[in-house]
Amino acid sequence: MGDATAEFFDELARRGREPLLEKATGTLRFDLVDGKRIERWRVAIEKGDVTVSRKNAAADCVVRTEKSVFESLARGELQMLTAFLRGLMRLEGEGELLVLFQRVFPGPPTSRDKRRVAGSARRKR
Amino acid sequence: MTGDLVKILDGNTFVVSDAQGDIEASLTDPTGLFSFDTRFLSRWVLTVNGQRLNALSVDDLQYFETRFFLVPGTGTVYVDAKLSVIRQRAVGGGFREQLTILNHDEKPVELTVRVEAGSDFADLFEVKDALEKKGMYSARVEDGQLLLGYERETFGRATIISASTPAELDANGLTFTLQIEPHGAWATELQVVTAALLGSGGWRRAGDVARLRPRPSMERSLHRWLAEAPRVESDSDSLRATYRRSLVDLAALRFSPPIAGGRSLPAAGLPWFMTMFGRDSIFTSLQALPFTPELAATTLHMLGLWQGTRVDDFRDEDPGRILHEMRYGEMTAFEERPHSPYYGCADATSLYVVLLDEYERWTGDRKLVRELESEARAALNWIDEYADLKGNGYVWCQRRNEETGLENQCWKDSWDSISYRDGKLPGFPRATCELQGYAYDAKVRGARLARLVWKDDELAKKLEREAADLKRRFNRDYWVEDGEYFALALDSEGKQVDPLTSNNGHLLWSGIVDQSKAKSIAAHLVGPRLFSGWGVRTLAEGEGRYNPIGYHTGTVWPFDNSFIAWGLRRYGFKEEAAQIASGNLEAAGFFDGRLPEAFGGYGREVTKYPVQYPTACSPQAWSTGTPLLLLRTMLGLEPLGDHLVVDPALPSSIGVLALLDIPGRWGRIDAFGRGRIGMERTDMRKGRRARTRAA
Repeated sequence: MGDATAEFFDELARRGREPLLEKATGTLRFDLVDGKRIERWRVAIEKGDVTVSRKNAAADCVVRTEKSVFESLARGELQMLTAFLRGLMRLEGEGELLVLFQRVFPGPPTSRDKRRVAGSARRKR
Repeated sequence: MTGDLVKILDGNTFVVSDAQGDIEASLTDPTGLFSFDTRFLSRWVLTVNGQRLNALSVDDLQYFETRFFLVPGTGTVYVDAKLSVIRQRAVGGGFREQLTILNHDEKPVELTVRVEAGSDFADLFEVKDALEKKGMYSARVEDGQLLLGYERETFGRATIISASTPAELDANGLTFTLQIEPHGAWATELQVVTAALLGSGGWRRAGDVARLRPRPSMERSLHRWLAEAPRVESDSDSLRATYRRSLVDLAALRFSPPIAGGRSLPAAGLPWFMTMFGRDSIFTSLQALPFTPELAATTLHMLGLWQGTRVDDFRDEDPGRILHEMRYGEMTAFEERPHSPYYGCADATSLYVVLLDEYERWTGDRKLVRELESEARAALNWIDEYADLKGNGYVWCQRRNEETGLENQCWKDSWDSISYRDGKLPGFPRATCELQGYAYDAKVRGARLARLVWKDDELAKKLEREAADLKRRFNRDYWVEDGEYFALALDSEGKQVDPLTSNNGHLLWSGIVDQSKAKSIAAHLVGPRLFSGWGVRTLAEGEGRYNPIGYHTGTVWPFDNSFIAWGLRRYGFKEEAAQIASGNLEAAGFFDGRLPEAFGGYGREVTKYPVQYPTACSPQAWSTGTPLLLLRTMLGLEPLGDHLVVDPALPSSIGVLALLDIPGRWGRIDAFGRGRIGMERTDMRKGRRARTRAA
């Protein structure tokens, strides 16, 4: 099992610009508890331009959760709202920023985009 | 369940009790204190010296506050009228209850006052479907508070109960031992606070969770809401009362999602639907646009925020899709239900674009249209890329979540709502007709916004081409020749699902109907098979599944009727629109101005009064919005550039009607009309020209 969290943030950093976050401006910090360690990821968004760092600096929205929970989120096995309702994560600060940010998490690995299947049979009238 | 349940609410927190103010809920019974789809109190019973109380009267002070006047003893004869008990209860982050006991005697009195408290922490879905719990309950007394808890793994909810005066607390409630002097009084304030377990942060009380930012006090907020809405002047007392009721109920149904920065949008209805709903919020915002345009702005903002971005079969989510329903209870948390959020509806995405355009036409707020450009583009893209399941240019619905998803992803979403004339049910996918109308309208309106605001002429041309093509095909493929109306749906083989339904009215509203076919549609809508005398039935009399109390197979839905009236106006059928407005508004008079979700489709000459559908939600947002939209259609209000066109056509049952201070891009404008249209359909004179003036 690889580190889905690191892959998720690395991919985000590599894209640099994320159209789904165009409306977002602000900073988020994810404090991921892994035994005694806390792994921190900080994301700064400026109208869709994303910078990722490991800085332990203040943020507009701070999410604290188990590393294992975030691994599931990053793999698309868990969805943010259910994690929140189940008490698996704690949120301080700007909630709306997190709602915007959850757009970039993947869907469940078992769900396939059927659009291309339909698209191939398109418009036969 | 009896009719005398007392309900108070604030957003998605509400209390339903009996006329004494007591709560004794069973699993299947929707009484209790509910917040965020969880029941936080299922037992709340007051006794004085071991005796239950008897209600003298109940005053609904505000939608969030009520007062119960009680005396000890039950039965019709009051054994002891020397004591009065007053419970005044206000909802908000739980509720507060001011309990006052007055001694009318010349002697002092010693009393034991007991409040029994308990909670089953049922998820609203469990109450609706009568399901069993999986977690552990607790009850403990701590720091002068009674803490009722429920925990399942990391999921936790709690109810914290306390009193402002000394009380003995135990796991089942509070006891006060007291003495009241002759002609004296005793009072205490009971506090019931809801809380949730969030991460390692421990319990968080409502207020922290429910509203991250404080809202202005409820009373001030209601006052401002009423003051800012246009005023109605009319000789019809019933119409004025209905309008007032609608405004207050709409205020009550405003709902601030946990992450909305204090902004609010319409929730769907009490008791089952106090949450964010795509379709209902959009329809209600459309109805309320001439009155409270800010509801539309918040709805567009919030639904845009949660717009689908990925493919998720469990939630029936696709990129660009607008959500159907969001829930916060235990079953959603554990994915026993898909509402986190659930995206399984095939209309809200088109309607999102429709609302955005209609909002701009009324308010001129292009800033919001620019802000939501990418959401609107994604929505338009969804129609072509994801909704066209058969690749033949129509919007189809078929759930991917076979277990807990919705089968019929249109507003008529019950299991038997879509049937052939003979009552047989078609297979999936299905393409109901109104979905095509909404998609057509979304393309036409999207084209207008693309040209006007997004400055994308290419997109505008593309959308207009597609809309014209859709209209041409639709009028060919859905037209039922032998009935001269549009089929309810196409089945998976492309065959017509052919009964006569109210959906035809929505087609007029969306503009997809060829002019040559409109007259016959209008005649059907006010004809004897569809029109009951009160309103248009969902399914016509004579069809296989017609049942005057069938949820979507014969009842009259006020919301449906308001859009049908709008559709009739759009095609110039003023008289028919006025007839439908008149029937529905007269029905409202029988419900104290509060139209229910649905009422029976019985002919008016048979029952003389509208029969409420047995488990209908009330108040319900889009029924509450119905009188508002009917005011608009009766006055013929239509924005045209920076002007508001007024072209009244009132039923003769309303003598005069003035709507004053209508907000919009013109500032504020007044509209006037006089009743001219007789309901016997004999006297059709042209409505008098309206006077308008800028404020």
